[in-house]
Amino acid sequence: MDLDHLTIKKFHEGLLDKQFSALEAAQAFFARIKASDEAIGAYLSTAEESAAREAEAVDVALAKGDDVPTLAGIPLAIKDCILVKDLPATSASKMLERYVASYDAGAIARLKERRAVFLGKTNMDEFAMGSSTENSAFKKTRNPHDLSRVPGGSSGGSAAAVAAHMAVASLGSDTFGSIRQPSAFCGVVGFKPTYGAVSRSGLIAMTSSMDQIGPITQTVEDAAIMFAAIAGRDPVDATSSETHYDETALTNPDLGGIRRLRIGLPEEYFVDGPDREVGAAMDEAIRRIEGLGLKTKKVSLPHTKYAVPAYYLSMPAEVSSNLARLDGIRYARIPEVDRDAKTLRDIYFKQKGIGFGPETKRRVILGAFVLSSGYYDAYYDRAQRARTLIARDFDRVFEDVDVLMTPVTPTPAFKIGEKTDDPLAMYLSDVFTGPVNLAGLPAISIPVKPYPYPGGGRELPIGFQLIGKKWREADILGLGQYYERI
Amino acid sequence: MAHDLTKRDLEHLAELSRIALDPQEEEKLLRDLGNILDHFKELQKLDVADVPPMTGGTDLTNVFRKDGAAHGGTENTNRGAGVSAFPEKEGGYLRVPPVFG
Repeated sequence: MDLDHLTIKKFHEGLLDKQFSALEAAQAFFARIKASDEAIGAYLSTAEESAAREAEAVDVALAKGDDVPTLAGIPLAIKDCILVKDLPATSASKMLERYVASYDAGAIARLKERRAVFLGKTNMDEFAMGSSTENSAFKKTRNPHDLSRVPGGSSGGSAAAVAAHMAVASLGSDTFGSIRQPSAFCGVVGFKPTYGAVSRSGLIAMTSSMDQIGPITQTVEDAAIMFAAIAGRDPVDATSSETHYDETALTNPDLGGIRRLRIGLPEEYFVDGPDREVGAAMDEAIRRIEGLGLKTKKVSLPHTKYAVPAYYLSMPAEVSSNLARLDGIRYARIPEVDRDAKTLRDIYFKQKGIGFGPETKRRVILGAFVLSSGYYDAYYDRAQRARTLIARDFDRVFEDVDVLMTPVTPTPAFKIGEKTDDPLAMYLSDVFTGPVNLAGLPAISIPVKPYPYPGGGRELPIGFQLIGKKWREADILGLGQYYERI
Repeated sequence: MAHDLTKRDLEHLAELSRIALDPQEEEKLLRDLGNILDHFKELQKLDVADVPPMTGGTDLTNVFRKDGAAHGGTENTNRGAGVSAFPEKEGGYLRVPPVFG
């Protein structure tokens, strides 16, 4: 079967037309993973047995003549920080190397109700901390379009798996760009919903006030289908909201309404930021949007330059608190810790000393610092106030425009190893994606044009970003669907 | 006001964070954290006196639930999924080595 041109939509049609069974499709994807993933390294673990069971159940339902949901049988890849019951969930950390999830994340439970098939868990930066997937404790993931380059991060495995057709779609998580940046680098669509739209239950927490689960897909239409499935309030996540989405408006937008959207181009995202290639690609994307009949205008978000400092001086505080529970007592313990540890205190120090990688240690310790007495006001509190100013910038421009259009990244995918010795350079690669998370807004990364895989590596993918008002996912998903039909 | 992070500060923070660091790690961390704090000094220039801090991701206020396992209480986790993840357990309790050596 042809895996290279599958979308959720086409898969569903193929399944209903009996072009293939769900089980055949799952087997074809595992064969593809075996052939391709040694070079790419998108998966940390695969789940052939449980996936076969899930797929067979869909085939049985179809044979009985039951109606099945659009997501039935769709082979998915899941970022390893999202819990799927009975599958490993390491968050790419040695700390959780032996941990097996004991329950389903809220988003996973919704996908199971819709009978999706879970192929396996994907590589990422440890605990979602990074922009290249090089912080994984286990392996490097390579960009399918150029194996010498990073896939981006932290959801690099999920983006690479979709780009190289080793899954039809995937889930990632996005705290400061971790869905959108790897999607841009790998030439696929990455969608970060409004904060609170999707349950964070079962997402191994990094920065609870910003973390959000979202889909990585071949098309914007697929992203809308996945989002409609996973969105909604979950009683066990108190920050999830009662949502009121019109599923038809999300997946089948009305062109008349989309044409009336006013598009803002924030000047801070275009001056001194993107390199020449990205700048040229942005010009092309803007021309195409204008070609659809939409009006664009320049706007200003004056506090944009404070987003990266505000993030790196507040996020570590949440990290140090969230990761404190990973102490070798509640979850899996590293074997060499067991051998040497005599007291509880020994276990804590050794488990964290061996279990956490360099970036995780950096953030936990920086977090303890920005929260300490005497520094709290200068760092943490000041960063939270800057966050308010950034959110107000967005509120102000959204009185004038409906959607913002920006680059996703300053450059296309960088080389493996290029930024690993300089954490600061790595942090600055998130300059265009991060402000959205500080303000809790929805945003999507869309390839400027199709980047087929395998494409001979002639061109590195570049994405553009659409940012919407809170709860107005329909605007950016709708505009994106029209863009991809050009 | 902001100041440079010293080796003593770092050792104290590592102790508070319960992380064992070797000397090379300490040296690199001190350098990296120094660079990060230095680079992000521009935040100190921002006038935030009249701006309230943002404390979360949404406009939601506190959410309460009824007590008890049936309402998503921690009782659920402590007796079920949570316990099954413990590396060492006995009769539903977490087993740990002595607190004092």
